[in-house]
This record gives sequence, C-alpha cells and structure tokens, in this order.
Amino acid sequence: MTLASLCDEPMTTTAAHLSLPPVTADPGSLRAAWRIFWRGGLMSYGMLFNWARPSIYFPTLIGGPTFQLLFFAALGSYAAGRSPAYFALGNAVQVSALAGIFGMTMAIANERWFSTLPAILATPANRIALFAGRFLPFIANGLFVSLYAIAFGVIFLGVRFEASTLGVAGLALLVTVFSCTAIGALQGAISLRLRDGLFGANLLMLTFLLFCGVNIPVASLPAWMQVISNLLPFTHGLAQVGGLISLEAVIGVAYAVAAFALFSYLERSARANATLDVR
Amino acid sequence: MTGDLASLSHAPTRPGSASAEAPAIEAIDLVRIYHTHVGVIRRRPLDVEAVRGVTFDVRPGELFGLLGPNGAGKTTTIKMLITLLLPTSGSARVMGFDVVRETTEVRRRIGYVFGGDRGLYDRVSGLDNLRYFAELYGVDPRQRDRRIAALLELVGLTGREKEKVEGYSRGMRQRLHIARGLLHDPEVIFMDEPSIGLDPIGARELRQTVRSLVDAGKTVLLTTHYMFEADALCDRIAVINDGHIVASGTGSDLKSAVLNRTIVEIETFGVAPEAIDRLRRDPEVIAVNTEERDQSQILLIQSERGPEITQRLLGSLGDTRVGKVVAREPTLEDAYVHLIASTSSTDGADRAAALG
Ligand SMILES: Nc1ncnc2c1ncn2[C@@H]1O[C@H](COP(=O)(O)OP(=O)(O)OP(=O)(O)O)[C@@H](O)[C@H]1O
Ligand SMILES: [Mg+2]
Repeated sequence: MTLASLCDEPMTTTAAHLSLPPVTADPGSLRAAWRIFWRGGLMSYGMLFNWARPSIYFPTLIGGPTFQLLFFAALGSYAAGRSPAYFALGNAVQVSALAGIFGMTMAIANERWFSTLPAILATPANRIALFAGRFLPFIANGLFVSLYAIAFGVIFLGVRFEASTLGVAGLALLVTVFSCTAIGALQGAISLRLRDGLFGANLLMLTFLLFCGVNIPVASLPAWMQVISNLLPFTHGLAQVGGLISLEAVIGVAYAVAAFALFSYLERSARANATLDVR
Repeated sequence: MTGDLASLSHAPTRPGSASAEAPAIEAIDLVRIYHTHVGVIRRRPLDVEAVRGVTFDVRPGELFGLLGPNGAGKTTTIKMLITLLLPTSGSARVMGFDVVRETTEVRRRIGYVFGGDRGLYDRVSGLDNLRYFAELYGVDPRQRDRRIAALLELVGLTGREKEKVEGYSRGMRQRLHIARGLLHDPEVIFMDEPSIGLDPIGARELRQTVRSLVDAGKTVLLTTHYMFEADALCDRIAVINDGHIVASGTGSDLKSAVLNRTIVEIETFGVAPEAIDRLRRDPEVIAVNTEERDQSQILLIQSERGPEITQRLLGSLGDTRVGKVVAREPTLEDAYVHLIASTSSTDGADRAAALG
C-alpha cells in the first residue's frame, strides 16, 4: 500500500529546487585555521559555557568571589594577624581559577554532553586551532573576574598598588589566568572520557585553595605538599617576581600541551575503541 | 493497492560493473568488532561483530541505499566510511582516499547527516550552529552568509534561524542537521536515517532535496527504515542483516526474488501457533510472517499460487477469528521481509542460499 503512494509522489527532478550558491572551502588554509582559532574560539563561549547566562553568571562568578574575598580577608587577619588587604589581593587573583577551570572544563567536556563530538571530529578542522581557540574567551573571562575582585579589594579592603609594580602585577595576572585555564583544559579532556567533569573541577578548586599559597604560605606546608604546590598554577604567578612569572608561564604551557596531547590521544583511541560516543 | 510491478520492471537495471569510472565510495570486506563488557560487578568481555565483511561500491552521482533492521550494522558501516571509526579489518575509500590514513582528504569531501535530535549546540541559535561549522569546514567567509541563507531556505528554517536550538522541535533539529551537512558543498553525502522525526511533508521535501543533490552530481549514501523511501529514491539498494549484505541491486532486482508470488494478508484475532504451523506445512506456502497489532495479528503469507489459494489458507486457520483478508502482489517491503526473515540466524539460513 505504501508503494501506491510513492508512485504518485511527484519527483521534482529539476535542479531548480536546489539553487544553492556555489561555495569554496579550503579547510587546510592558514586563514581557515586562524578563523577557527579566533572566531570559532570566541563562539565556543556561548555554545559550551553553562554559566554564560546572567542568572548563573552573576551569583557564581561575581557573588562567589566577593564572599571568598571577604571570608579569607576576615579569617586571615584574625588567624594570621596580617592585613585584610594581603589576603584580599591573593584571593582576587585566585578567584580567576573558578572561571578558568570550570569554564575551560565545560568548553571541552560539554562537547560530549551535547553529543557534538562526532560532528566536530568528522570535520577536517585544524585541531590545534580548534583547541587553542577555546582558551580565548575563558582567559578573558578569568581576567574579568579577577579585575572585578581586585577592584572590590581596592575599594573595600584597602588593597593598594604602587604605580611601578602595576606592569608586573598585570603580567603576573595574565600568566596566572592562562595557566589556570590550561589546567582547566586538561581537566576538560580528562572528563571527556570520564563523563563527570565538574566533580573533578570542584576538587581542583579546593586543591588550589589549599596549595597555591594565597591563604597558607607554601613554606609552612609539609614538604610533600610543597612539591605539589610548585607544580600547580598560581604558586609562582602569585609571587610576582620576574623569574617566577616565567616559571608560571612554563607550567601553564606544559598543562596546555598535556591537555592537547590527551585530547588528540582520546580522538585517536575513540576511532579505535568507539569511546566518546563517536559511534 | 497498486503494487504495480509492471510499471516498476522497466526501472533502470544495474549497469555493467565494467565501468571505467572510479567509484565514489568503495568498501572492501569491511569488518568491525566492538569490544565491550557485560555485567556490572563481574565484568565479562564481550565481542560484538557489528559488521562482518561488507563489500560494495557506489558510483559517482549515484544514490545508494543501505537498508536493514535495527542493529544490522548500517550506522557502524557509515561511521567507518566517514572516518569516525576504524575498521577492524578490510578497507574503504571515498573519492579515492583511504578512510583510515587519508582522513583529512576524506573529511573535506564528505557531508554527514545523522538522524536524531542530538548533536547540536542547543544554547545558541541555528544560525550560529551553521556559522560555527562553516568555520570548521573552512567555508570562504565571503560566501558563507549567502550559502547559509540558501540552505536555511532549502530546509525550510528561514525565519527561525535566530532562535535558540533548545526551542526547536525534533523536525527542525533534523532540518538543521541536513543544512549543516551541506555547508561546504560536499561531493559525497552520508545520511543516516535523515527522515527520522520529519513530518510527511518534511520527509517528502527531504526526498526531493536528496534527489536534486543527486541531479546536481552529488553521490549520496543513505540509510532508512522506510521501504518506500528507499524504493522511490535509490538507484541501488543493499540490504544488510546481521552485519552481512544479503542482497543488493535496484528495487526491482530485489523484488524479483518474490516477483511471481502472491501475498495473502490475513488479519486474525488470537491466532494459535499450531494454526500458523499448519500454514507453514502447506506445500504451496513459501513463507509466513506475522506482525503483531494492538488487538490482532497480521499474517503475511507468501505463495507461488495466485489469489485462489486464499480459501484454502483460511480453511487451514480452522475456527480462528478472522478480520480483513487481502490478496495482492508483492512490494519491496515483502521482498525485504522475506530477505531478512530468510537470512536471520534464527530462521532457515538454507533459504538464504536459495535466494542467491
Ligand atoms: N559502541 C558500541 N559498543 C558495542 N556495541 C555496539 C556499539 N555500537 C554498535 N554496537 C552494536 O553493533 C551492532 C550494529 O549496530 P549499528 O548501530 O551499526 O546498527 P544499525 O544498523 O545502525 O541499527 P539501527 O537501525 O537501529 O540504527 C548492534 O548489535 C549494536 O548493538
Ligand atoms: Mg543506525
């Protein structure tokens, strides 16, 4: 009976139906890679970041950091007897971790949540450009959150800068935010495979609070904990000394490279083992 | 009921395989085994042989259909051809490029449309989804917006493109998938159940789109569960069951296996298994398939005799309550049901041999 209906179906065989404008595509070109990095990278913010809507963004990335600043400024000056401004500044830098780690974890791992991974991996897109571009909006976001927190510290908690150190401080902030985003990328790649990414991101946040030296001086930690501190982002960036800033940058690049290597490995093993839901 | 075989018999027959033209898609003895586990506490390894030696080729400009029941291995075959899965053994080429080693070359030449409402960035607009993938495919930015506008028109999403995808209906998502698959004007298009979730008009438009793609010189490989869709659209069809291709050819080639048969459809209410056995033992009955409906069962009886066998068949059913009875000529669906039933491991593999 189905056959009858199909025989009646008019088949418009004229190509008029398909008057598509011609298109040239050159995914291997440098320009394509640049656009994937820059434009694609910026687009990934709205596509993949769960917190990109104001109703979540402000409580989480403005409200949370504000309370972290107040909490540690109060606790620190009470327990350690140092000025609230000292703790406010350290924590103002530290809060960028929230944006960097969670943002970047989502930017990678949410591909799996949306089941968009097969579609992405079936494209000829330059993978390095694709991966690196994802950093852009989350670095910007981390900087924004930290700058807000610093401004809060300046206005309410007595944080002061000497004009001569502003440049170094800015550089330290940028490098720190980058390395934080890089560890977020690694966490993202890990959770592509493990599925439950945000649990790991939460754990990382707590680890940072403990190890990064903002609230507890690294020197006062047991030796084995100091080893971890020195391998994590922040510890060096917060020190704001030239040599240490470059060490922080090296750590950031190392995490970024490790994240990309893991991503590439997962892409290859997904083809072989039908993991990552590419089937 | 015009399962008119006469009009179908002059459909184009399979041209000689001695064509000089290189195939657009070429699969040689493709095998894919999935290694998985069963059990939660005591995990035992389990190997699933999803595709067990599939060979076919698709000529440039041809519309090729892959037809088969759930779990037959259609999606797995496509995933190997579009470079998402590695074959366990065997090889395949698309436009002459090896799907294992020359992935970038393959990927830039193919479009991939899969059925279902997942696989889109829900939080941004349909337009942004297309723009993003246009970047990934390296579409020339000066041509991008016109191309996207034309594709939106083609799939009927014009006017809705600025809305977030999370508010799209299932069919709208499917349309967006189709537009995405065509962004970079691919030479070969793979479609895995592209009409799933589309309303009848949408499905008809899709068939027209697919046809016009082929008219424009594209090669299309599609899978579908709709027999009439395959019959109406495809130049050639391969039926895949249990990881094997059990038959291939034009729609009429496939039908020729059941060409001289009569199909008697009998609606019954609570038919006893013994009655069905009696029918099966009838020397003039070739096959009996049953379809469960809400209240009733439809018996599909294939016989080489004409419609006059109907009375005898009803007699064999004894006092079974009978509803509608129809004797008709076979359709592609009957050929398909016959092929699948006769090649499934549970049911007479000997018949498969008889079919050739
Ligand atoms: N990742 C996987 N791990 C284990 N088994 C799998 C995996 N993917 C598919 N299979 C199995 O392989 C077989 C073929 O699956 P496939 O998806 O290719 O079938 P299909 O023909 O596309 O079916 P459908 O019509 O339902 O889409 C099935 O038995 C399925 O369970
Ligand atoms: Mg399938």
